Amino acid sequence: MRGMAQISPGDLAKVHAHLEGMANCTLCHTLGAKVSNEKCLDCHKEIKKRVDESKGFHASSKVKGKDCTICHSDHYGRNYDIVHLIKDKFDHGDTGYKLVGKHAKKDCQDCHKKENIADKQIKSKQETFLGLNDLCLTCHEDFHQKTLSVNCLNCHVADAFKPASKFDHTRAKYQLKGKHTEVSCEKCHPKSVRNGKGFQQFSGLQFPNCVNCHKDPHESKFGQNCTQCHVETSFQTVKSSGQFDHSKTGYLLEGRHGQVACKLCHKLSITAPVKHENCTDCHKDYHKNQFMKDGKSPDCSECHDVTGFTKFSYSFERHNLTKFKLDGAHLATPCFECHKREKDWNFRGIGERCVDCHKDIHQNLIDAKFYPSQKCENCHRSSVWSEVKFDHQLTSFALEGKHSALTCRRCHFKMNNENVVSQIFNDLKTNCESCHNDVHHAQFGENNGLTCLRCHGFENWKPEKFDHNSTRFKLDGGHKDVACIKCHKPMIDGNIRYINYKFNEILCATCHLQ
Amino acid sequence: MIMKLKDSTIHQIVITTLIVIVASTVSVLLYLGFDYYSIPLEERHFHPLNQSFKASGLVGHGLGIVGSLLILFGVLSYMFRKRVRLFSRIGILKHWLEFHIFLCTLGPFLILFHTTFKFGGIVAVSFWSMVAVFLSGIIGRYIYLQIPRSIEGQELTLLEIEDQKSEMNKQLRQTITLDESIYELIDNVPDKTKNQKSFFGRRREERLALRKLRGELKSQRIPHKKAREIVQLYRSQLGLKKRIGRLVTMQKLFAYWHVAHLPFAFIMLVVMIIHVVVAVTFGYKWIF
Repeated sequence: MRGMAQISPGDLAKVHAHLEGMANCTLCHTLGAKVSNEKCLDCHKEIKKRVDESKGFHASSKVKGKDCTICHSDHYGRNYDIVHLIKDKFDHGDTGYKLVGKHAKKDCQDCHKKENIADKQIKSKQETFLGLNDLCLTCHEDFHQKTLSVNCLNCHVADAFKPASKFDHTRAKYQLKGKHTEVSCEKCHPKSVRNGKGFQQFSGLQFPNCVNCHKDPHESKFGQNCTQCHVETSFQTVKSSGQFDHSKTGYLLEGRHGQVACKLCHKLSITAPVKHENCTDCHKDYHKNQFMKDGKSPDCSECHDVTGFTKFSYSFERHNLTKFKLDGAHLATPCFECHKREKDWNFRGIGERCVDCHKDIHQNLIDAKFYPSQKCENCHRSSVWSEVKFDHQLTSFALEGKHSALTCRRCHFKMNNENVVSQIFNDLKTNCESCHNDVHHAQFGENNGLTCLRCHGFENWKPEKFDHNSTRFKLDGGHKDVACIKCHKPMIDGNIRYINYKFNEILCATCHLQ
Repeated sequence: MIMKLKDSTIHQIVITTLIVIVASTVSVLLYLGFDYYSIPLEERHFHPLNQSFKASGLVGHGLGIVGSLLILFGVLSYMFRKRVRLFSRIGILKHWLEFHIFLCTLGPFLILFHTTFKFGGIVAVSFWSMVAVFLSGIIGRYIYLQIPRSIEGQELTLLEIEDQKSEMNKQLRQTITLDESIYELIDNVPDKTKNQKSFFGRRREERLALRKLRGELKSQRIPHKKAREIVQLYRSQLGLKKRIGRLVTMQKLFAYWHVAHLPFAFIMLVVMIIHVVVAVTFGYKWIF
């Protein structure tokens, strides 16, 4: 009967039920102009406010400018769902707040519930999707308990609260370097319980000194400025730049010691005591106890210093205190020539004889009686090999005249046609032709060989001992003044040129008829 | 005779066409809108057809306006033809009635679709009044058929009917020569007014009389075709006799019927006008 008594075309939805009655028609309807948005928004002030602020779904391009009645008509009965939100089809992005990450999987009521609505008027509504804003804390509890910004999205994403994947520690006042980038946040940002709830401190942490977080193992012996010595990459790594005054430890770092990494000596812990009386406390005895005397090796510092191993302070004088004194060319010989003849340095048992280092090139070539026990120094001196001091008189061939001025090589070293030099000592004969060529083409040979010494001496090649008058043809008369060549003509026998001194028969015609 | 036959055929075609129009309009609307009309009211707004098929939609509102105009025209035209002297000579009243019935059948159907089968509010008074007028129209049509009418459709008096009956008999005697006994049988069709038997008793009496006539026609060797014409005539005679018998009752009923039909129509129109005024006042002006 209620329906029959009015001009309404049908019952209003439950939420509009209080508007039933003829007197109320014009609350929604404008005479002559159907239902106007203004009338709707006169009541729905919260929507009007949002539209005026260009916020929310009703201010989106999908809705703006449309009549309210397109979506929210009425007079379809009490049970008519005037809002009619199809959750599966609703694009929450149209509200200006796109649902991403976990939000997209939530039910509407998980967020749109009274507890999350601050505005009392909106909260009083039986069912509403209004009253929330896009601040995370509208729905989420502030885990940081007002210690951080309310803009959670600076650090967090909607996929998960943990980890705060957008957080960038470079934006923090304290920059993470070295190992700090690897340690878990909890190491510096401790978890605790505050106001009865789990809490992790991210702000208000003191960090001017390392000791704010780290324990000082030096117990303030070196002050609080840890970074003078330590770097962030590792506590064990200490700055090699030498900010740390090592002299405070009782061991002054000098030379190369100032450049090596601390852990080379401080192997276990930087603070663990390190023996440092002897070099071998840290260094290996490179010489493998070669210098051990009476069961004890001398300290490396007797020869080496901290400027480097290749340098040493071992002097010639000290060397000359040994069994093998250095002189002559040995003074200019690098140590390794004798002490590192193989892979390793060797300072013991390398011998003192020349042949321990030098090769005996005369072995089996010179009779051992001239250098017994391969004593090179019988002939050679350490200053220079080429200077030979040998008494040739001891041999069967005493050196006279020009021979005494010659180098040994001229007679004892022969080069063959292939330029290979070979030594001849024992096998070298004492006759002249062993060394000299016979330019006379065997004209003066006898049964026992050549007779060079009948005419020639040792001073020069002039035939000083020759007397033409002792020959078959005495020179007299005009022959005295005649040049030798007038009678002794050059001859060629095959490839050999020689002066003819021996005539088959000595006749006047032999010379004069020519 | 040829002309008469032609007129009745045209009339039959027109009547059939009008019926087809009504049936097809209803069918088309049902076909198009069944899905929409069949869902609960609460869900209508979300149906894709709602914007056009709702009462204030392009189609729905149009149906209301066209339906109302059809009814309005159907009522007024027939009323004027019947009651205003100026129009009394235009066309046959029977045809006007048929046109009245057509418009006032199609109109309510359109209105029915306009309501989207939702009957509430003050306008429901108009609707149910319309339904009452529509149903009373159907009853009225039955009563109307029971009252003998001139070819113009004018109601005949009892005397005029009696004359018509005598004329019929005279015509029969002139065209066919029959045994007097048959004429008597035809003349003496059972008369409702003269016996007090029950409905079934009267029916039995009529059947016996018809059987007697058929037996007589057979014994007198009346040709088959002729015999059928006689039986047809006998039936008309019987029908006329029955109408004469019922005439007074029907005339009384018809007077009462008007009392129902007209006021409902009046209520319907008044409320409809209110409904239209309200709709227009609130800005629902269809395409205007």
